[in-house]
Amino acid sequence: MPKLTIDNLEVTVPEGTNVLEAARILDIVIPHFCYHEALGAVGSCRLCAMMFLEGPVKGVQMSCMIKAQDGMVVSSTDPTAVELREHVIEWAMTNHPHDCPVCDEGGECQLQEMTVAGGHGNRRYRGKKATFTNQDLGPFVQQEMNRCITCYRCVRTYRDYCGGTDYGVLGSRNRIFYGRFQEGKLESPFSGNIIDACPTGVLTSKPFRYKTRLWDLQEAPSICPHCSLGCAIVPGGRYREVQRVRAGINRETNGFFICDRGRFGYDHVNHPERPREPRIDGQQATLEAALAAARERLAALVEAHGPDSVAFLGSSRASLEANALLRDWASAYGSTQLVYEAHQGRDYAARTLAAQVGGHARSLGDLRQSDLILLFGADPLAEGPMLALAIRQAVRDGAKVVTIDPRPVVLPCAARHLPLMPGRLPVLLAALGQGDLSAFDAEERALFAPLLDQIKAARRPVLVGGADLLGGKGVAALCSAASALSTTERAVGVMALLGGPNSYGGALLAGDGPGFDTLLDAIQERTVRALVCLESDPFCEAMDPARAQAALGHLEMLVCIDATPSLAAQRADIFLPVRANVEMAGSYINNEGRLQEFLPVIAPGLPIKETGAGNHPPREFFQTTPGSAPVADWWLLAKLLERAADLAALRRTMAKYDERFSMLSVLAAETSGLRLPVKVVLPPVADRELPHADGSDNQVLLATTGPLGSHWLAHLSSPLAATEPRPYVCLHPESAAALGLAPGDRARLTTRFGHCHVEVRLSAQMVNGLVLAPQLWDTALEGLAPGSMHDCRLEKETKA
Amino acid sequence: MKVLLPEEQIDSFKARAAAIAHPHELIVDLLRAIQSHHGWVPDDGVLLTAETLGVLPIEVEEVATFYDKIFRRAVGRRVIHVCDSICCWSTGAEMIIAHLQQSLGIGLGETTADDAFTLLPTCCLGACGDAPAMMIGLTTHGRLTPEKIDETLQRERAAIAAEFAK
Amino acid sequence: MNAYPQVLFKNRRPGETVLLPEYEKNGGYQGLRAALQMTPAEVCELVKDSGLRGRGGAGFPTGIKWSFFPAEQPGDKYLVCNGDEMEPGTYKDRQLLLADPHQLVEGMAIAAYALQAGVGYIFLRYAYEDCSQRVERAIEEALAAGFLGENILGSGFDVELHVHRSAGRYILGEETSLLNGLEGRRPNPRSKPPFPAQRGLFGRPTNVNNVETLATVPHILVNGSLWFHSLALNPESAGTKLFGLSGHLNRTECFELPLGITLREVVEDFGAGVRGGKKFKACLPGGASTPYLTAEHMDLMLDFNPLEEVKSRLGTAGVTVFDENTCMVAVTRNLNQFFARESCGWCTPCRDGLATISWLLDRIECGQGTDQDLAMLKDQVRNIRGRSFCALAEGAMGPVEALLRLFEHEIVDHIKQGGCPFKR
Ligand SMILES: Cc1cc2nc3c(=O)[nH]c(=O)nc-3n(C[C@H](O)[C@H](O)[C@H](O)COP(=O)(O)O)c2cc1C
Ligand code: SF4
Ligand code: FES
Repeated sequence: MPKLTIDNLEVTVPEGTNVLEAARILDIVIPHFCYHEALGAVGSCRLCAMMFLEGPVKGVQMSCMIKAQDGMVVSSTDPTAVELREHVIEWAMTNHPHDCPVCDEGGECQLQEMTVAGGHGNRRYRGKKATFTNQDLGPFVQQEMNRCITCYRCVRTYRDYCGGTDYGVLGSRNRIFYGRFQEGKLESPFSGNIIDACPTGVLTSKPFRYKTRLWDLQEAPSICPHCSLGCAIVPGGRYREVQRVRAGINRETNGFFICDRGRFGYDHVNHPERPREPRIDGQQATLEAALAAARERLAALVEAHGPDSVAFLGSSRASLEANALLRDWASAYGSTQLVYEAHQGRDYAARTLAAQVGGHARSLGDLRQSDLILLFGADPLAEGPMLALAIRQAVRDGAKVVTIDPRPVVLPCAARHLPLMPGRLPVLLAALGQGDLSAFDAEERALFAPLLDQIKAARRPVLVGGADLLGGKGVAALCSAASALSTTERAVGVMALLGGPNSYGGALLAGDGPGFDTLLDAIQERTVRALVCLESDPFCEAMDPARAQAALGHLEMLVCIDATPSLAAQRADIFLPVRANVEMAGSYINNEGRLQEFLPVIAPGLPIKETGAGNHPPREFFQTTPGSAPVADWWLLAKLLERAADLAALRRTMAKYDERFSMLSVLAAETSGLRLPVKVVLPPVADRELPHADGSDNQVLLATTGPLGSHWLAHLSSPLAATEPRPYVCLHPESAAALGLAPGDRARLTTRFGHCHVEVRLSAQMVNGLVLAPQLWDTALEGLAPGSMHDCRLEKETKA
Repeated sequence: MKVLLPEEQIDSFKARAAAIAHPHELIVDLLRAIQSHHGWVPDDGVLLTAETLGVLPIEVEEVATFYDKIFRRAVGRRVIHVCDSICCWSTGAEMIIAHLQQSLGIGLGETTADDAFTLLPTCCLGACGDAPAMMIGLTTHGRLTPEKIDETLQRERAAIAAEFAK
Repeated sequence: MNAYPQVLFKNRRPGETVLLPEYEKNGGYQGLRAALQMTPAEVCELVKDSGLRGRGGAGFPTGIKWSFFPAEQPGDKYLVCNGDEMEPGTYKDRQLLLADPHQLVEGMAIAAYALQAGVGYIFLRYAYEDCSQRVERAIEEALAAGFLGENILGSGFDVELHVHRSAGRYILGEETSLLNGLEGRRPNPRSKPPFPAQRGLFGRPTNVNNVETLATVPHILVNGSLWFHSLALNPESAGTKLFGLSGHLNRTECFELPLGITLREVVEDFGAGVRGGKKFKACLPGGASTPYLTAEHMDLMLDFNPLEEVKSRLGTAGVTVFDENTCMVAVTRNLNQFFARESCGWCTPCRDGLATISWLLDRIECGQGTDQDLAMLKDQVRNIRGRSFCALAEGAMGPVEALLRLFEHEIVDHIKQGGCPFKR
């Protein structure tokens, strides 16, 4: 650990730290452009100059390029270094337009900050400036090249970090242009990161354009609700509208970047059909009346039919606090009918993970340091996109990656792919754990045997699984394999992609309670007569929506608490609107068991839109903000339980009575969160799995999570509309040939949900003998719950 | 449409790319081959290069736009690179350039109406002992005088006419 | 004109290229034969003893560079010949390759053996198609004769050479940019360390030398290090050097002259004096990046150390002379325009700083300059020198710094007179 002196202050830093970072530890911030903690140092901008007075290097040097060494004496205030920084800024500004008043970056412009910090106030250059023609980069990113200062950060983010392949550096000298070979949408699912990376107004968010001056934007640290990884985000809102999301920083999870689904998937909050008023039997009501009606009707049912006549469905979208109160509510009635995820495969996967992962849990930060990553039935780009970027960073450092999956798994880095039927994944995991591959034929053994050697040789191996394809059994096999393959020298890590941002929290609360399938049985048999849905939609989210919808039709009463225009919200007898997570404080537990807090960004209310119809400013006046009825989910449940709706008090109570949540009392936003203690032991999960089709039949369809736009919240977000695919199926070329299908063909897909016209895609990575189709909302494919398997017919369509 | 590169050459590049560990190393060679056959490198030439070598189009474009002797815009049948660096400048390059502009009737960076010549300034051609100098195609002409330029242009015009006649 | 010993140019005849039979008849490939009788380390040692310094501009002792090379390391290693030669005023490598290219081929075979590098690349600039063809022919001849290829001359050592034709841009002469260029990537320079000897072409150990440096090696192998020392007029130096004369001289040709020859002898004898009987005002002693010499330096020895003592550099020994009527502001403007245009665009001081200097020099030359512009010019130089990512911008500061040091009065005259005093 080298010890050095910077501006007369001594500091000891870890080996390998550069002097710029060492100074930052002392709160001395040296202006810089090209250096970025995640991107590393390349020494191109020449801004971070410091004077090295004593030690192994002398003179003015770029502090990002010099590793801290013992005995260095460095000055950031030395006049030569200061003069150089001033010049570098002046040069960088040479071609920069004087358009700050109308620039989209104004208010958070790092160039402006560095210009002030660098001491450059008066541009002496009065010659011609370089100008460029902008490219249309698609729906997410707006380019304004004239503002470019050539810091190379966008391209290092896009190409090097995110693995994008369609953006680069063109030209040379002082006519460098960053862009695509030809105009068009940026293809990387991480493209929005260049907006954050660009220090000035060259690359800005297109959906956010012309909405708000940045100093008017309300921001607060939050957690992304789009998958189970729990990436830090900073949403920004104004005019009662979430207008954008930028990446937050959490070195344990996302690092510095996020995926486009997280960045552009905020618009569900502003959705025009979002139900904002309480309703009783279809009639708008006051919150008080709706709460009272819910309490009374449920109490009456319990009175008449016993405690188990009312059931409760929590969710991975709701806060941990609200989910915990739901449990309290159930126990207040004495009901044992409490489930936390309508998708039973995901439910069992989450519960099994929470029960069994123990010390094998790994964070995305750990993944980035791993040297061997094996993915079993996990498709990161669909199920947890930032995992794909973490894997890429590991690969850049030399890690090896193998994906074992019936689907083609696309990663932004090199990986080996081994196709395997979904039902065989747990078998393979068990076989690997036992070191005995006799369950596989010779050909398969030849493919899988090397995995054992690779795991043995790896120093930091991680097994990754996906809840959709593995279910509870598979995750159990994943955890057992990890323990079996661990040695005293090194443990084998585990990460599983779960259903939603709080799946893990729901799993902890669910314990060994029933699964959704049992609940449906009870509803069918009329033992259960009422269902309370907390931010979940059993009509659509169940593994078998047809069966769910049939059963749910028998309910005498449906209470729905939600922030989205879900089917459950539409059908509810009593509807109670709640806030989206950006409108409230709360906490989630991510797929790694990390407890994280989010804070309110905006208050709920109908977005103020200038329609040009003369409705602004409003001519009618109200006591309250239109559309502001939604309350925080935990607030609503506390009220239902007639408790004090005080978040801190709720958390204290939870921490006191359940040691697994003891850390809630010290939770703080904008930290890296708190990993739940390993010693937490859970009761084992009841081992009741839905029957899986085993794929021995030739026309079996495997449903999967679709890409970016096809998740429920994402589907409600208009900026992502451009990324939502049209219905398609994917097949192995041989399967396709057997059906007489060629890539690009139109085909008619028939399942028990009906017919659908699909485009045929082929992939040699597909397992042979399976038809893959994504769940896509508002299409005939919306009944295809990820991970479910169905009999299907696929016929080539001849042009009508 | 003019052919970018004859099939045999594309095949031979494909074979070479397949035989080496780093096919990127052939990007400049292939761009030059396309340029010498087609005169310049249109977008399709970048795509052809990427496809032939199995590299990304953006990787080809990043390289193509760096070099000043790869033409990403249409040029005339002969590109005249006239040196404006120090040795030529000190021996009258300004006058030489003015004379070229006058006799071709175009400015620097322009192409004659008949598509015969494109006139481009260039840095030192390594003909400093024979300054002032210019390069037409890949042939350097030194110790230029207005008379010598007129002669050379005439010869080139005749050669172009002969190419057309073929 | 003194007749100095001719080593590299001994076979040179105007307009002709020496082919293998003649080359061999005049002692060619004896150096390779000698080298293969020695161990690789002995070859390095001999080159080190000879005092040969790199002819590409930086003058780094070649044998020392080779001794840093991990010749014993297994796996691919590369030897690269730098024939970019794009610095204005430099045309010596072209003359050498046109006249007698086998010297390079032989030198590369020897260097490859000394460094145990099995593959060599000869990087040649776009404008040197004439050289590329001659080098390729020489490689073919050498291959056929067993000087290249597998098991050369029965030594068990294999070496293959490839010619790479570039597509323009001065920055490719910088050795790490050149490696990126060879790899087919954007030719920005790489940061050092790691040095090419550790991680060069395709991430493997690589040694880069100039054409003339490599072509000199066979002669050292044949005649020994003492002989090589004796060639120089400066007793502290060694060898002959190709001097390419240009600018306002009566004779602008490339000569092989001993290191340590005086500027006067070069200008007055070999250059046959300044054109039109005018007076000598200044010169670039070694290419566009070398600070000016003036008439007071006439009796200075042209060699690495003596030139550094007067704040200049030998560079590539391309001597460009300016007569008394030349405006040094205009000369510097032209030189700076070259560097600004050839900047790769990677680092800020070079990319935008050189353009700023161009703007300032334009203003001054055109009579719009002010005292503030002069002050600004000074602070630009002060902040670009030593601050850029690679040596291109450093080199660009050579003439600008020399303009301020030696000819500030000309700038002042431009400002005072509102125009160029030489243009009337
Ligand atoms: C901008 C720049 C341009 C250069 N151009 C050349 C060149 O054209 N030829 C050359 O041999 N060396 C050139 N060099 C020097 C090389 O980087 C390198 O030092 C040289 O090739 C080493 O060979 P040597 O030791 O034999 O001289 C250049 C350096 C810089 C910074
Ligand atoms: S000094 Fe900087 S911009 Fe100039 S050539 Fe070198 S790296 Fe490129
Ligand atoms: S300066 Fe013009 S050819 Fe050298």
